[in-house]
Amino acid sequence: MLPRDIDPITFEVINNGLDSLVDEMALTIMRTAYSGIVKDAMDYSTGFCDRDGRTIAQGLSIVLHLGSFPAAVASIIDKYKDSIYPGDVFILNDPYTAGGIHLPDIYVIRPVFESDRLEGFACTLAHHTDVGGIVPGSNSTNATEIFQEGIRIPALKLYEKGVANETLFEMIATNVRLPRNVLGDIRAEVAATIIGEREYLRLVKNYGADEMRRHTDALIEYSEKLARDEIINMPDGKYEFASYIDGDNIDTGPVKIQVKLVVESDEIVVDFSGSSPQVKAGINSPLPFTQSATYGSIRQLMDPSIPNTVGFSRPIHVIAPEASVVNASLPAACGARGITGFRAMDALFGALAQIAPDRIPADGEGGNTIVSIGGYDSSSEPFAFIDLFAGGRGARPTCDGPEGLTHPGSNNSNTPVELAEVETPVRIEQYGLIIDTGGAGQFRGSLSQVREVRCLAEEGVLQLRSDKRRFRPYGLNGGEEGNPSLNILNPETDDITLPAMGVATMKKDDVIRHVMASGGGWGNPYDRVPEMVFDDVWNEKLSVSQARTQYGVVINHQTLELDLSATEKLRSDLR
Amino acid sequence: MSGSQGKLYRLGADIGGTFTDIVLLGEDGQYWTKKVSSTPKDYSVGIVGGTLQLLSELKLDGGQLQEVIHGTTVAINTILENKGAKTALITTKGFRDVLEFRRLRVPHLYSLLYEPPKPLVERRLRLEVDERVGSGGEVVTPLNEDSIMSAIERIKDSDAQSIAVCLLHSFSNPEHERRVGELIKEHLPGRFCTLSVDVLPEIREYERTSTTVVNAYLGPIVRGYVDSLVKQFDDSGVKSPVRIMQSNGGVMSAARASETPVQIIESGPAAGVVAAHEVGSRVGLKNLITFDMGGTTAKASLIEDGELNWTTEHEVGAGISLSSRLVKGGGHAVKVPVVDLAEVGAGGGSIVWIDRGGALKVGPQSAGASPGPVSYGFGGTEPTVTDANIVLGYINPDSIAGGEVKLKSDLGRTALSEKVANPLGMELLDSAYGVHTVANVTMIRAIRAVSTYRGRDPREFTLLAFGGSGPIHAVEIARSLGIGKVIIPPAPGVFSAVGLLVAQPEQHFVQTFFGKADGIDTTALNQLYKDMESEGLKTLTSEGYESKDITWRRTVDLRYVGQAYELSIQAPGKEITVDDVSELVNAFHNEHERTYGHMAVDEPVEIVNLRMTALGKSSSSIPVQSTSDTKSSVHTNRDVYFGPDHGLLKTPIVSRSDLSFELMSGPMIIEEYDATVVVFPDCHASLDKWGHIVIDVGIE
Repeated sequence: MLPRDIDPITFEVINNGLDSLVDEMALTIMRTAYSGIVKDAMDYSTGFCDRDGRTIAQGLSIVLHLGSFPAAVASIIDKYKDSIYPGDVFILNDPYTAGGIHLPDIYVIRPVFESDRLEGFACTLAHHTDVGGIVPGSNSTNATEIFQEGIRIPALKLYEKGVANETLFEMIATNVRLPRNVLGDIRAEVAATIIGEREYLRLVKNYGADEMRRHTDALIEYSEKLARDEIINMPDGKYEFASYIDGDNIDTGPVKIQVKLVVESDEIVVDFSGSSPQVKAGINSPLPFTQSATYGSIRQLMDPSIPNTVGFSRPIHVIAPEASVVNASLPAACGARGITGFRAMDALFGALAQIAPDRIPADGEGGNTIVSIGGYDSSSEPFAFIDLFAGGRGARPTCDGPEGLTHPGSNNSNTPVELAEVETPVRIEQYGLIIDTGGAGQFRGSLSQVREVRCLAEEGVLQLRSDKRRFRPYGLNGGEEGNPSLNILNPETDDITLPAMGVATMKKDDVIRHVMASGGGWGNPYDRVPEMVFDDVWNEKLSVSQARTQYGVVINHQTLELDLSATEKLRSDLR
Repeated sequence: MSGSQGKLYRLGADIGGTFTDIVLLGEDGQYWTKKVSSTPKDYSVGIVGGTLQLLSELKLDGGQLQEVIHGTTVAINTILENKGAKTALITTKGFRDVLEFRRLRVPHLYSLLYEPPKPLVERRLRLEVDERVGSGGEVVTPLNEDSIMSAIERIKDSDAQSIAVCLLHSFSNPEHERRVGELIKEHLPGRFCTLSVDVLPEIREYERTSTTVVNAYLGPIVRGYVDSLVKQFDDSGVKSPVRIMQSNGGVMSAARASETPVQIIESGPAAGVVAAHEVGSRVGLKNLITFDMGGTTAKASLIEDGELNWTTEHEVGAGISLSSRLVKGGGHAVKVPVVDLAEVGAGGGSIVWIDRGGALKVGPQSAGASPGPVSYGFGGTEPTVTDANIVLGYINPDSIAGGEVKLKSDLGRTALSEKVANPLGMELLDSAYGVHTVANVTMIRAIRAVSTYRGRDPREFTLLAFGGSGPIHAVEIARSLGIGKVIIPPAPGVFSAVGLLVAQPEQHFVQTFFGKADGIDTTALNQLYKDMESEGLKTLTSEGYESKDITWRRTVDLRYVGQAYELSIQAPGKEITVDDVSELVNAFHNEHERTYGHMAVDEPVEIVNLRMTALGKSSSSIPVQSTSDTKSSVHTNRDVYFGPDHGLLKTPIVSRSDLSFELMSGPMIIEEYDATVVVFPDCHASLDKWGHIVIDVGIE
C-alpha cells in the first residue's frame, strides 16, 4: 500500500505526468533525428531519473536499454559531484570510464534544477550510425579491443552552464564517418532533454519541489512493493538454463551464457557464474547491459501496470563474474554486445519457463541481426546502410509465434525498403517469409524471414552480426527447435555461405541474403489441431508434404482437402 | 414548433453508439435537434426514420431538404469488428509479407505475449507480380503480364470481392501499377479495386500498402451502406444530395466516399472539431483546444491561428490512442490526413477501481450504455465517474434529460462508499472528488498530446468543451492547465451533428516530390500543383460546386536533409518562385524551433511532399440559434462539493437562459437537456450574443 502520508490522487496525477513526459521525449527524438537507425528503426530510449540517479519513468522504447540509465547517471554523479550546474548537458558512451553499454550508444543527459537545487536527470540514449573504428557502422565483431571500436567518450560536459563545448563537438565530428548524422542525432537527443526538463519543471511548479521528491520516492517504493508481491508468489527454488552464442568469428568455440535463478521469498538472485570468460571479439557485455537484460526479462512476468521505476529491480540481484562475457573489463571489445544481451534474456526465459510454464514462449529469432553496408557512393559521399533485421518469435503456450514482432528485449522498427533505397546505394530484392521453416509444435514458431540486399555502390564493407546457426532456437514442452540462420553472398551465382558474424567486401551488384532463424515450437506437433495445419497450408506457410512429415496431417495435393480420418490413422501410427 | 412552408433546409445526421443525433437547419440559421436510438443492424433505418419524424413534427416535407450531411461510424466499425470485404493484395515480387510484418513495434513495454492484429488480407490472397521500379522511378525489371494473369486467376477462383494493388516506388512511377489496374478491370469486372497511387502516392511501403488495403477492405461495405442510405432517403421523398463527412473535416459526395472510404474512418469525431472551428471564427478566437467527453472516451484537438490541425500518422483499430504520433504498432496504418485528435479511455461511464498497491484508478474499463453507471439503476455495480459526479452534486441526483431519466443516486453513493471511500479510508465526498480529479488527469493527457507534445502552450488557448460530460469537467481541467477561459456552445450534447452543417467540401492531395530546397526545380513543382488543382477542380465541379467558389490551400512538407519526419509549412497560392522557396525554408526553421526547441539554420533543408486541398463553398446558412434552450429556469439550490479548498456549498441551479452578458459569480450549476455545466466558486459565467456560455476560470 501507499504510505499513509501520500495522497493517492496526487500520486496518480504525478505518475501520469511522468509517463507522458518520457513519451514526449521519445517523440522528439524520432521526429528530429537524422539517421535511419534512430528515426526509422527507433533504436533509442528515453527516461527520467531522480536527483540520486534512480529511474522514475521510461519512454516507450528499447527494453534492453532501459535498465542502464542508473549506471550512466551514477557515473556522472560520481565524477562531477558538486560541480553539476544548471544548463549543463552530459555526454558519454564509454563502458569502462563511464556507465556506457557500447560505443555506438551515446547517452545525452541533462541535470534538471529548480532554484539551483538538483531535482533529477532527463536521460536519452541513441544508437548512432557511426562512431569511427574499423568498420563503417562501428559494430564490428572483429575488433579485439575497445580501442579499435571508435571514439570513447567518458562522462563529459557537452554544454556547461548553457555554453556548448565546441572542442568536444569538433572532436566527435572529426572521429566519425558521418558527422552530419551523428551531430544531427546528438542535437535530437539534446532537444529531447530540453522537453524533459520543461515538463518536469511544470510538475515541480504545480506541486512544489519537496512534494515532488516525496512522491517520486513513494513511486519507487510502490513499484518495489508490487514487484516483491509478484516474486513472493513465485515458487522458491533454483532454476538453471544455459544458452550459447555460435562463436565469435575469432575463436571458434561456442560462447556460453549460464544463468542460475534463485527465488527466495520476495527476492531473486540471478547468478551468471559459469558463463564464458570475456572473448576477443566485440560481443562482450558491460555489466549495466547485463543488468538491463536481467531486469527486462523478469519484468515480463510481472503485471505490466507496475510503474517503470528502479523500484521494480530492487529485489533482483545480479551476480556476474568479472572479465566474463557478461561483465566485460578493459580492454574487451563490446561493439556487438547486443547479441550477448539477447542470449542472456533467452537463457533467463528458459529458466523462467520452469517457474511459469503457462506464460513463457519458446525461443525466437535471437534478437535483431545487423546487416550493415558502408562505404562511399558515386559522388564520394560516405554512406552507411544499417539494417536491424528482426521479427520472429517462438510459439507460445496458447498460440503460434507471431511473425513480425521483435525480440522481447528490443522494440525496434524495420527500415522501410523505399526509404533505404532513396537514402543509400542499395536495392532490397526480397523481404518475406520462407515456407516450411517454423519450429513445429502444437503451436508453431514463427517462420524464418529473408531479406536480400544488393549493393549499388562500387564497393562496400559488409558487416554481419547474426547468430543461432549452430545453436538453434529452443522449443518448449515437446516443441521442435526453430530453423537456423544463414548468410549467403550472391545466392543466384556464387552462392557463398558467409559466417554468422564477420566482415566481407561487397562489389557493385553483389547481393547478400540473410535468412533469419525461425521460432521454436511449443508442445507436441502431433497435438496440433489439424485445421490449424490446414490453415498454414492454405496460406502457403507449410507445404502439403511437410504437413504430413512434421505434423502427421494428411492433405490432398490436388484438391487441398483436409483428410481427417487419414490424419488420425497416420498420427496414431507415428506416435 | 414548426418550420416554414416553401423554405429550404439542410440536415445533419451523426451516428453514435447509443444515439443518432439529427440537426435540421433553416436558411435563417435557426436549428432544431433530435436524438433517436441508433439502429446498429442498419444505421440508415434510424437516420431516415429520425429525419422523417423531425420533418413531420415541423410539418415539412422531404422536398424541402436541400442537402443531407452524414457523419458515420460505418467505416471504423467495419474495421473494429473485422467485417470488411474479403480482400486480395497484389505486390511487387518478393514483398507480399510487408503487410504482415508491419513496422514490428509493440505498443507496450514488457508485454511478452502481445499479439499484433491479424493482417486484413490472408497470405494466400497476397500475390506477387514480377516487376521492379527503382528508387528514382526507373524500371529495373519490366512488368511481366503473365505473372499478373496468374494472380488474377487465383483471385477469380477465390471469393475476394476487393483487390488492393501496391507496387514498390509507384509514387514516383505509377505505370506498372496502372497497368495492373487495367488488367484487373478487364478480367475481374465488378470487383472493387484500389491502386496505392490513387489513395496515397507517398513513400514508405508498409504505410502505403496498409492504407490501400484498408480502402479496399472497406470499399464494398461502405458502397453498400451509402447506396442503401441514398435509396431509403429517395424512397421516402428526400431527393437531395447526400454527402459524407471525411476524417479531414471536409465533406464529400456519397459517390466519392464509396470510392475512397479510407477517407471517412474518423468521420464522426472530426465533425465536433469542425463545429468548434466555426464557433471560434464566429466569436473571433483563433486558438482553441476542443474537448469532447462522452460516455467511454474523451477527445482533444487543437485549432491554431484559426486553422484545424491534421496528422497523417494514424493507426486504426489500435484502440484508444493518446498520441498517434509515436509509432506503436497496435493497429493498421492509415496515412491519409485526419483531424489530429488525441483520445483517452475516460468518460462518464469509466469504472473506478483501486489497484493492488492502493492507487486510485479510472478506466479504461467502462460500464458503457449498459449497464451504465450504478445510479442509473440498470444493474451496474461498479462505481463510475458519473456516480462520483452525482455524489458531488454536479449532476442532478433525481433525474437527467429534463426529467426523462430518473436516477437512483443512493445506489451509486453506496457503491462509491464501499468500493472506493472505505478501502482508501477517506470521506465519501473526498473520495468522489478524488475520482473526479483522477478522471481529469487522464483527460489532461489527451490535451497535452495535442499541445505540449508539439511545443504548444495550452495557456495560450481557450477550452471549448462539449459532449455529454465535457462541460462537467471543463473548468477544473482548464484550471490545471492554466487555461483562463472555457466556452460551452449551445446544445453541447449534439454539437458534432451541428458540425456537419458547417463543414465545407474538401479534397486533399499529396504528391511525394523530393529535392533539396536550395536549387529545387520550381517548374516541376508548379506543374505538380497545377495537376492537383485541375484534378480538384474536376472533382468539385462534378459534385455541383461552382469553380468560382473553390479555394485552395497549399502546404509543403519540409525537413532537414536526413530527418525522417517533416513539418508542413503553408505555401503561397500562386506560381512559386525561388524567393518563395527561401521564405518556406525560413518558416520551416522557425516552426522547428517552436515544435522541438531548436533550429539549425546552417543545415540543408529538403522538400518531401507537396500537399494541396481544394475547398468548395456551400452557399448556405450556418447554425446560430438553437431552439432547444428556451426552457425556463427551475431556481433551486442543492449542496455541491467543490473539493477540500471550498468544501460543500449551497449552490444555485440555473439554466442557460438565466445567464446574461453580465458576469455571474460561481458557484453555480447550469442544467440543460443534454448536459450539465459546473461553474466553480472562484469562476464567473456569462452568455455571449450567440448563446455560448463563457466561463472565466479565474486565473491571472
